[in-house]
Amino acid sequence: MRAFRRRGDAVEARLEPAEAGIVGLLLDQLEQLLTAEAADVAGDPVLERLFPAGHRGDAELAAEYRELTEDSLRGGKADDLATVRATLPPRGGVVRLDADQAGAWLRTSNDLRLALGTRLDVREDTEPPEDLTSEEAQQLAVYYWLTGLQGSLVDALAGGRAGRR
Amino acid sequence: MAAPLAPARTPEETVEEHGDLDRPWVTIVWNDPVNLMNYVTYVLQELFGYDEPTATTLMLQVHHEGRAVVSSGPRERMEHDTSRLHAYGLWASYQRDS
Repeated sequence: MRAFRRRGDAVEARLEPAEAGIVGLLLDQLEQLLTAEAADVAGDPVLERLFPAGHRGDAELAAEYRELTEDSLRGGKADDLATVRATLPPRGGVVRLDADQAGAWLRTSNDLRLALGTRLDVREDTEPPEDLTSEEAQQLAVYYWLTGLQGSLVDALAGGRAGRR
Repeated sequence: MAAPLAPARTPEETVEEHGDLDRPWVTIVWNDPVNLMNYVTYVLQELFGYDEPTATTLMLQVHHEGRAVVSSGPRERMEHDTSRLHAYGLWASYQRDS
C-alpha cells in the first residue's frame, strides 16, 4: 500500500491487489450485515455499535431517536458503501478520490474498523499481532492495516483543510 | 445559549419537564477504543466548525475523561447532532444537561 496523500484537490492512495481484494470482501460482509433481516441479526454487537442508542437511560427517548434516525443512517451507510465499491480498483491500483468520495471512504473505513474491532474485542491496550498463524491474528492484522489506511486519509484531508485557510 | 423547545408531548411529560425549561440539552461523545484520535478531531471540526485547537481539546477530553460535551441547545438539535456523529461512527448520545 502507498498511503493516502493529497494531490491537488484530490487524495490518492495505491492498493496492492490482495489489499483491494480484502477491502472488497469486507465491504461485502458489511453490506450483508446492513441488509440482513432484522430478526436474523437481532442483538448483533456490531449493529449495536454502528447504530448506538441515542439516549442512555431513557428507553422511550432512545426508541424515538431510533425511529427518527435509523433509516437515514442506514441509507447513508449504503450510499457510502456504494461509493467506496465504485472507486475501489478491484485488482488493486490507484484510488483517487474527490472530497465527497473521500468522505465516503472515511466513514466506511471507520465502520469496517468498528465492525472488526467489535468482533475482535479490541481494547485501548490491544497490540498489533506478531504471529499471524491464527485466523483471529490475521483479522487483527487487517484491522491494523485499515487503521493505517484510514489514519493516512484523515491526515491527507486535514492537511488539505489547513492549506485552504 | 438557546433554551430547549417546550416539549409538545404527553401532558404528564409536559408537567415533568416544565421545571427544566432553562436547562439545555447536550450532545456527548464517549470514549471508545477504535476511533482514531485524529479522526475524532477531524469529525468534530467537520460537523461543528470547531477550529483545530478546540476540536483537539475536546478529543483529548473524550480520550482522558471518557466523555466530552460537544454541543448544547434544544433537544431536537441535539438529536440531530447525535445522528450526525453516529453517521461518522462516533459513540455519541444526547441528554438533558446535568
